[in-house]
Amino acid sequence: MTSVTDRELKTDSSNPLEMEGIEFVEFATSRPQALGQVLEMMGFRAVARHRSREVLLYRQGEMNIVVNAHAEAGGRAAPMSETPVIAAIALRVKDAGNALRYTVERGAWSVPSQVEAMELYIPAIRGVGSTRIYFVDRYREFSIYDIDFTMNPGAERDPPALTGLHWFGIVQYVGSDRMHDWTAFYCDIFGFELLPDEVRHGILPKGHVLRSPCHRFYLQLIAPRPEYLDVEPDEMLQRIGFGTPDVLRTVAALRARGVEFVESKDVHSETRGALTQGFLGGVMFELVHDESR
Amino acid sequence: MSGEPVRAPIPSIARFGMDTISMAGALPAKLAAVRDAGFTQIMLSARDLVDHAGGAAAAVQAVRASGLRVTGLQVLRDFEGLSGHLHEYKVDVAKSMLELCRAVGADVLLVCSSTSTHASADPDVLARDLRKLAMLALPLRINVAYEGLSWGRTVNEFTTAWNIVSRADAPNLGVGIDSFHVLATRTLLDDLDVLDPAKIYLVQLSDFMWHEIRTVEERVTTARHFRVFPGEGVHSSEIADLVARLDGIGYRGDYSFEVFNDDYQQMPVARVADHGRRSALWLSEVVLRGSASFPRTMPRRRVGE
Repeated sequence: MTSVTDRELKTDSSNPLEMEGIEFVEFATSRPQALGQVLEMMGFRAVARHRSREVLLYRQGEMNIVVNAHAEAGGRAAPMSETPVIAAIALRVKDAGNALRYTVERGAWSVPSQVEAMELYIPAIRGVGSTRIYFVDRYREFSIYDIDFTMNPGAERDPPALTGLHWFGIVQYVGSDRMHDWTAFYCDIFGFELLPDEVRHGILPKGHVLRSPCHRFYLQLIAPRPEYLDVEPDEMLQRIGFGTPDVLRTVAALRARGVEFVESKDVHSETRGALTQGFLGGVMFELVHDESR
Repeated sequence: MSGEPVRAPIPSIARFGMDTISMAGALPAKLAAVRDAGFTQIMLSARDLVDHAGGAAAAVQAVRASGLRVTGLQVLRDFEGLSGHLHEYKVDVAKSMLELCRAVGADVLLVCSSTSTHASADPDVLARDLRKLAMLALPLRINVAYEGLSWGRTVNEFTTAWNIVSRADAPNLGVGIDSFHVLATRTLLDDLDVLDPAKIYLVQLSDFMWHEIRTVEERVTTARHFRVFPGEGVHSSEIADLVARLDGIGYRGDYSFEVFNDDYQQMPVARVADHGRRSALWLSEVVLRGSASFPRTMPRRRVGE
């Protein structure tokens, strides 16, 4: 497909929030050190920590991952799970306040702010399950991390990406018969675009693929297989997909760091993509061939 | 207690349920009466939950403990077509009802067409607002059923409700059909053929005792005080026809008895639930299972039976 290389930021109605990619993905877990080790195996480095909460920032290349172990994170009533879960996506937008107003006007639920003194207010709406979608407009001259985070002493501020890894997308599990619901949600509220069925990436071709209005990442919606329907899985953000220009080279580099990949008859590492084994009870990452960066 | 026998769930009436609105008293008594009459589902009013002695959380617990499936929650009124602070206010009300739906396990929120003189009559505005409501409901996995109230200001039939729903075109927005309003406005049942059966999220059934309703005021009064169960009024054949036609176009969803009646508010709940049970048996075992030659009236019990 040609549009993958079409990276110019659209400012017309097809990109109403003037979105410009993902700023960070947030995991929540009661075992931040364990997840940190996994992220480091995947090529990330711990670069900073939050000034007042148990929140760590990992980075490689353009990608920021926030690991949140703050007990009251997001006002969650339930205890934080040991198995890390994707708790939020932060989207880069032109104006976070406008993005909040636009999405709320179209039926999004805004999340009440829980900012403490001297902390940056990041507007958010509710996403799937208990997740949130943040809007970040400070990513050019200075970043949100400059305010709320302290750099780790000696850490490299901008560690390079391993073998060109970059954001490719997020996989969301949807309930049975919910594909159209979530497709409408992302298209209506954010301006995502449903790609034709024949457009496929990676090695797990199923579900609906939605392209972000900025053409910088994808959401893939996957419905449970009918044979598993006796137990309806929770709707959730299930995994991150990393793009790489050379999947097999990335697989080799990650293997050397201790990452294991799924190698079965149906799913195995190949030039189009690969899937890591699950870490810590379920965290997995997908690699997808993508030469657009 | 009422002395009515406790019945096991009656499989043939699984698609039928009672509206709590049809009965007097407190929520626990309604839940017990509906279950004991052989029903497996109940349509709740938000008021049942917030009025409950122990509060909404305790009400939710009582509903879940009853084992009854929740058909849906009603009713959001006068939502669409407002602007400015009125719209904001209604969005807040809607969010509160959606959260109640989620808490109590209701998959459907019933929304009645607006009667407000402050509301726009522009179909695009109505559709836009309903689409927004559907988006609010979507992450919570709730379907929104839009019903044409027969005294609605702009939308007062299932046909016009369907037009707005089609215009809004949201995957979780459909229509609710109420036989009372269909009978009151004398909407042609042939028009059911244009509906997508998968987009009918709820059918509420009731009849009334007179043949004609001449004015809008009379509609409102009749609707709020003088409804009876299907089979007990004067439109049994029309209701049977409605149910048979819905079945014919492929509707496989729920039917709920919404019977506003001052007299039923003075009767023991078990007795009212028993009226519902007889109505459900007639519709399920005779109308739905029967051929085209279904009886036009429900077999009646004699007084004192």
